[in-house]
Amino acid sequence: MAGLNLLSDQGFRIDGRKPNELRRIQCKLGVFKQADGSAYIEQGNTKVLATVYGPHEIRGSRAKLLLDRVLVNCQYSMATFSTGERKRRPRGDRKSQEMTMHLKQTFDAAIMTNLYPRSQIDIFVEVLQSDGGNYCASVNAATLALIDAGIPMKDFVCACSASFVNDNPIADINYLEESSGGPELIVATLPKSDQIVFLEQNSRLHEDNLSKVIDLAVKSCKDVYTVLDRTVRDHVSEVSNSHGWDH
Amino acid sequence: MTIFNFRTARPVEYYRKYLEQDVRPDGRDLGEFRRTVLNIGCVTTADGSALVKLGNTTVMCGIKAELCKPKTETPKCGFIVPNVELSPLCSPYFRSGPPGEQAQVMSQFMLEVVNHSKCVDLESLCITQGKLVWVLYCDLLCLDYDGNVTDACVLALLAALKNVCLPTISINEETENPETDLTKRVPLPISSQPVSSTYAIFDDNILFVDPTAEEENLATGIITIVTTDDKLCLVHKPGGSPLRPEQLTNCFDRSFDRSKEISRLIDETIHSIDR
Repeated sequence: MAGLNLLSDQGFRIDGRKPNELRRIQCKLGVFKQADGSAYIEQGNTKVLATVYGPHEIRGSRAKLLLDRVLVNCQYSMATFSTGERKRRPRGDRKSQEMTMHLKQTFDAAIMTNLYPRSQIDIFVEVLQSDGGNYCASVNAATLALIDAGIPMKDFVCACSASFVNDNPIADINYLEESSGGPELIVATLPKSDQIVFLEQNSRLHEDNLSKVIDLAVKSCKDVYTVLDRTVRDHVSEVSNSHGWDH
Repeated sequence: MTIFNFRTARPVEYYRKYLEQDVRPDGRDLGEFRRTVLNIGCVTTADGSALVKLGNTTVMCGIKAELCKPKTETPKCGFIVPNVELSPLCSPYFRSGPPGEQAQVMSQFMLEVVNHSKCVDLESLCITQGKLVWVLYCDLLCLDYDGNVTDACVLALLAALKNVCLPTISINEETENPETDLTKRVPLPISSQPVSSTYAIFDDNILFVDPTAEEENLATGIITIVTTDDKLCLVHKPGGSPLRPEQLTNCFDRSFDRSKEISRLIDETIHSIDR
């Protein structure tokens, strides 16, 4: 894109980060009382809220019931005021539907679905402010909400995006970097077992560079994991202290 | 039977026992609101935003401004379009899909509050008479539903409107196209402060303020009073138990007290952000 230097000669990005540096992550578990689990995450200027209900009986059509495992129902929605231009529909447009599908597939792979046959788990994700990396923030928030709800998972699911600029892979891209037309790679991993559960890449990228970008994205997922893990531990010790449990 | 089982099995009886002592199970007396927390300007992509917590009930309001053509019968008036969303995210009782009855009634109620309180002079949203006006889309998202969303919504809307800063628009005389100057932003003038307070009627005669979701379900009637500063603006009583005039007068008195509390809260919040 003309006139926009994504990586300066000194090796800094538009927002002043180094190529492998993540945006600041702030998160909180158990923010709401009505839901069984809830979490709020801020990754830079992207702010996402996730709530989890369940496992509970199947709601709506019983045709969706699965005999051997739990039905994971996701809903991704973006607040109309979350983007620069006002969104007409918070959900139901193709982009949100696609995101809903991706989230469902990601968490189907991570939740121990065989433990709750004939039931349903709802994951609702609301993007309050968007500045790139919506999928990643949504996955991270939903992971925390699932943990808060006490739903057994194989591992944390951590997601991070990456791109490739001037022969340099860059991690956790923001809206400007996302919309500059460069390649975008999104990865969701199970960090402890080093498994990739979701990977999507669009725009042109030379195959020689692909492994570099994936490596950086997977490494960034581990960094995200460190932050999430600390948040969960802090939350658990805070809750157990307030209940006076020994730990 | 333990106290917890008693609450589940005989909720009305449980509440009666408390209300005999003029207190509610959560320790509040009948005229006491839950702790109200206000945060203004929390979403930077919106032109104005606010987050309100009323106990557990949480509502977020984001305002987006757009340009449009005014109606021919009111060429000088802009628009304010409030929209309340009660998604399945905030409570297990809501279903996904198109907005439910309650959400539509709430949206209409918010529109009435805006119109009747005249908190924003619609003519101040005019840019060129008959050609170009502002439309303010006020989206109210309920994030956690624990009763009395009405009061939380009215407060969130008012606080977000006070946070709105509109860019200045000038009309290019040659091309007649509007030109936006994003660097020069002016705050929206707010001429009055609508404040709502909701009361639940229990057993046809006991009134208490700011009901939780549980209390709303047990109530035999609900009444909402909206005041603007020291004047009465709107009373909404959708059926339910009939009330005596002196009970209504008590509600009005409490509402005017609430109005003062809220304007103090808003002033304090705005002051703390300025610093």
